[in-house]
Amino acid sequence: MKKNILGLVALTAITVSLNAIDYRVEKPDAWTAKDVPSAIKALYGEISPAEGDIKLKAPKVASNGGAIPVSVKTDIPAKSIAVFQDANPEATVAVFAIPEGTSADFSMKIKMKKSGAITAIVEGKDGKFYSKKISLEVALGGCEG
Amino acid sequence: MKKLILALSSIALMTTAVMAEAPAPSATEVKMKIKAKEKDGVVKAKIAIKHDMLTYDQAKKKGKEANFITHITGTVGDKVVYDASTSQFLSKNPLIKFAFKGKKGDELKITYTDLKGGVFFASKKIK
Repeated sequence: MKKNILGLVALTAITVSLNAIDYRVEKPDAWTAKDVPSAIKALYGEISPAEGDIKLKAPKVASNGGAIPVSVKTDIPAKSIAVFQDANPEATVAVFAIPEGTSADFSMKIKMKKSGAITAIVEGKDGKFYSKKISLEVALGGCEG
Repeated sequence: MKKLILALSSIALMTTAVMAEAPAPSATEVKMKIKAKEKDGVVKAKIAIKHDMLTYDQAKKKGKEANFITHITGTVGDKVVYDASTSQFLSKNPLIKFAFKGKKGDELKITYTDLKGGVFFASKKIK
């Protein structure tokens, strides 16, 4: 009986971890890539994303590079969304896996060392990839600490 | 014989403790600002996590060890509603926003893992 319970606990633990995708464990190279193209390649493989209907928002001029509000939103049925930038030593900022029932609409605050561009890649449920890129100026870099 | 029974019962006790705290038995409860509000079946959530988010560069300058959040998960019951793998480039005390299908009264639980392997969580009822 005890074994049964233990097994059950283990099983639930496994299902939970199956639901949540840890891209750091699955794609470790994506997090050390120095530039955006190689980060995308490490994360999704050889892809040629099309310009898609993605609403990627960030201020044109960020006064504080330590906390730049960035939001990404899309109506494309998406499996995951990844956000990259080219100002910091490594390119990948965050990868969102989108569970069933969750909107493809995320906001966060990010750090950027200097002016640069933010790229969002949407992995559609249809297996296609879409991208969007915006540039912004950073008045005061955020990585000096 | 007595020892065996004692050992067995302690194991049983441990199992129940683990079960009560499942799925993350080693997680520490922390203070976190969570706002979750339902409207027309969609829950909008805003979360502020207190964390230094020291990048490798910053840590070097300060002579500290780098430490930042690597993974954030939001769950309602057994269902995952938010799942993000993050890097050092989220801001200090990161603020995240997302929306999902849910209902009032459910409990939203946010769990995050940092580079040092610490697991922390907080939960709040959806308004």
